[in-house]
Amino acid sequence: MSPLELKSILEGIERSDTRSVARAISIVETPSMHLERNLIIKGIYHKTGHAGIIGITGPPGIGKSTMIGNLCKMLSSENFKVSVLAVDASSPFSGGSLLGNRIRMQENLSRYGVFMRSLANRGLNGGLSRAVWDAVDILDAAGNDFIIVETVGAGQADLDIVNLADTVIVVLGPGLGDQIQAIKAGIMEIGHIFVVNKIDRDGSFIAIKDLEETLAFTTQGDWKIPVYGTNSLTTEGYGDLINGIKNHTTLAKSSPEFRRKRYREEMRIVMQDEVSRIINRKFNEMILNNGEIDSLLESKTDPYSAARKILKGNSVKL
Amino acid sequence: MENGKNRLLFKDKPVKVLLAKPGIDGHDRGILVLAKAFRDAGMEVLYAGLLPTPESVVETAVNEDVDVVALSLLNGAHLTVFRKVADIMKSKGIDDIALVGGGTIPDEDKPELEAIGVTGNYGPGTPLSVIIDHVTTRAAEARKKKISR
Repeated sequence: MSPLELKSILEGIERSDTRSVARAISIVETPSMHLERNLIIKGIYHKTGHAGIIGITGPPGIGKSTMIGNLCKMLSSENFKVSVLAVDASSPFSGGSLLGNRIRMQENLSRYGVFMRSLANRGLNGGLSRAVWDAVDILDAAGNDFIIVETVGAGQADLDIVNLADTVIVVLGPGLGDQIQAIKAGIMEIGHIFVVNKIDRDGSFIAIKDLEETLAFTTQGDWKIPVYGTNSLTTEGYGDLINGIKNHTTLAKSSPEFRRKRYREEMRIVMQDEVSRIINRKFNEMILNNGEIDSLLESKTDPYSAARKILKGNSVKL
Repeated sequence: MENGKNRLLFKDKPVKVLLAKPGIDGHDRGILVLAKAFRDAGMEVLYAGLLPTPESVVETAVNEDVDVVALSLLNGAHLTVFRKVADIMKSKGIDDIALVGGGTIPDEDKPELEAIGVTGNYGPGTPLSVIIDHVTTRAAEARKKKISR
């Protein structure tokens, strides 16, 4: 990519030009364009830090996408600039993905001029995609007040959102199991706000009560975890939910810990990536060029000792 | 040979395609079959849903930065509506997203569609592999434009 094109993209992001933002996200989604990615993030990073990042997680079919559509409409009506990133699962067999979150929100996206991007997780576990961190930075620099991130939502192991988001909303529903189910580790520990959606259905009152009882013993610092009941078709309960989001976002931003967890996690991921890339390249070179690995095989050195020997004997330039 | 080159092009970022039936056409069985077939062929697939406007189809295509927009209509309005989508894209200066068509399109309409940049125009009964190959070829053209700017 030419320097002129890069400059044009960076300027476009600062102007909140959607085409530039979309292009930039494509670049950070392309592993082979990592040099361009680094330049983009370097170029916009100083403009990040304003947006409140809202993570939405919960089991498939519980109503996350529909909820986000409603939140976009309501926050936009209050003149907040909102953008959405939705992560969907890639097939482990074909590598393809049906990015189906958008369709539930499309009407509200168009009507309220909300930018949305669908991302495939491309085999990454934890509910997010590798590129979502950089995509959030880009949207932050583009002037958004809120960035809503929807996770894959496959289960209790989709917890990476806790490091990325300022406010994590866990969406559950009636009839998903009793109180014992509710206290399972992981998903119950990461939420700042809990929502029981589909309250028009049987069992929703009990579900809310169960959650409230379970959460009575959980703390998120000074924040008392609320449980809201919502009906996403009628938007019943959304007034309280939005107030809760605003309250928690304000609290998170005023905390000295704000973004610390996120920065550390981003650093860890980036450093891990860099080191992996260098080691893989070095390893492939070794296989192609010299017989060091083969000679270790011939001398029957176990892989652990062999690896130590190789790593010690090689200095790597970053 | 071409296939091999394409595979490299899409190795770390798969073909991204937006399937859409702009306007008033509620018969979506075919397009859902296509959606699954494209996914099984390794593509990242978006479906625009029911009754999208040409404007919102283009907006989605741009925001999602797809390689191909695959338009399908079974209501005979393809000449009007596909042209609308092509015109909107042209007016926005978008030259790195390919347009592919399909549906109940008579042979005599195909030259006019190709002249405005909508290729393929496959009808019912076309083998899925033919459609997938064509979409991949057009996606490769679009992707090369995107990365060589």
